[in-house]
Amino acid sequence: MANWQEMMPSTRAYLMNKVLYELHHKPDDLAAYKADAEAYLARFGLPQDLADCIRNNDVANMYLTGVNPYLLRAHCIGVRIPEDVSLAALRSLLTHEDYNNG
Amino acid sequence: MAEITGIYTASHTPVMLNFPDRIPAELKDEIFGAYKAMGDDFMSGKPDALIVLSNDHLHNFFLDNFPAYCIGCAESYESPIEHWLHAKRRVFAGDQAFGAYLLQEAYQADFDPSFSMEMVLDHGSLTPLELAGVDPDLPIVPVLINCVQPPMPTMRRSYALGQFLGRAIRAYEGVDRVAILATGGISHDIATPRMGMVNEEFDQTFLTLMEKGDIEGTLRYATDFVHTAGNGCEEIRMWMAAMGAADGAPFRRAYYRAVNDWYTGIGIGRFEV
Ligand SMILES: [Fe+2]
Repeated sequence: MANWQEMMPSTRAYLMNKVLYELHHKPDDLAAYKADAEAYLARFGLPQDLADCIRNNDVANMYLTGVNPYLLRAHCIGVRIPEDVSLAALRSLLTHEDYNNG
Repeated sequence: MAEITGIYTASHTPVMLNFPDRIPAELKDEIFGAYKAMGDDFMSGKPDALIVLSNDHLHNFFLDNFPAYCIGCAESYESPIEHWLHAKRRVFAGDQAFGAYLLQEAYQADFDPSFSMEMVLDHGSLTPLELAGVDPDLPIVPVLINCVQPPMPTMRRSYALGQFLGRAIRAYEGVDRVAILATGGISHDIATPRMGMVNEEFDQTFLTLMEKGDIEGTLRYATDFVHTAGNGCEEIRMWMAAMGAADGAPFRRAYYRAVNDWYTGIGIGRFEV
């Protein structure tokens, strides 16, 4: 596999990035998200599938949107998705022939 | 004219602080000991200022405006910016005049970094400084390289930036003794299916090329094989910059271990300037 899914972020990836960035950097956003995830995500006008994978802590599908990996990683830690759950979700996407072949 | 007292390279990862116990206590102690030994060596050079070559992990910078290179020109730097990082809050002194000097010299030398007069440093700068036990009152100048969001500056350009930094630092009249800490890498994947599968072969080859003093070979290997060693390995741009600043001085590794449960090839070394 390669180090990056997209060598220039798509608009879908940008939207995901924007949500995950603001959620963990704007002062009141994490509390608002925890109080009502659906209402919080509605602020961004995301396509429904993107909003769903965030709200469901669906790490594998968040990854597949092309989201920046550092924002995804910080989100997993920041909303306390158990470490072994996020690792297993990511690992489930690894196909044998991908590994380290670039 | 400033003397460069030491140029150090070291990995960083928030896992060291957040989930240190995912590895056996003995191994953790060994690694923390290696960082502390680097810090002791570093402080024995009695630097007056420290250049921290690191990267922002999408905390200060976002995709609305992402610099390839950024020089810090603030009077102080709070840290950490991550609300989730298990680290005590600290304020590092900044050497604003030194940062401003490097920025202006960079433009004269045909480099075009951005600058920042207000940054809150993330784990990329904080963890190695913390583990090395570096005095937060030692004034720092952060020099940040985009290693986290393609498109990114090349390995070779980062090496050239380091060459420039070495020259500019040595010509600076404002302080007598300057140390450089370059932090990032080596092999690791962040939030990818390969996370936790360190490419030790890459790391060993990379470190061996550096120890041989094969600058051209190192640049080529870094450029052509970084994709086999994880998105976090893109941070070896800081090692390329350190190699540039070292101006041909020999490199010695002090520590290396592939630590899969910290997801990272932990490497520490220094250029014997
Ligand atoms: Fe990093």
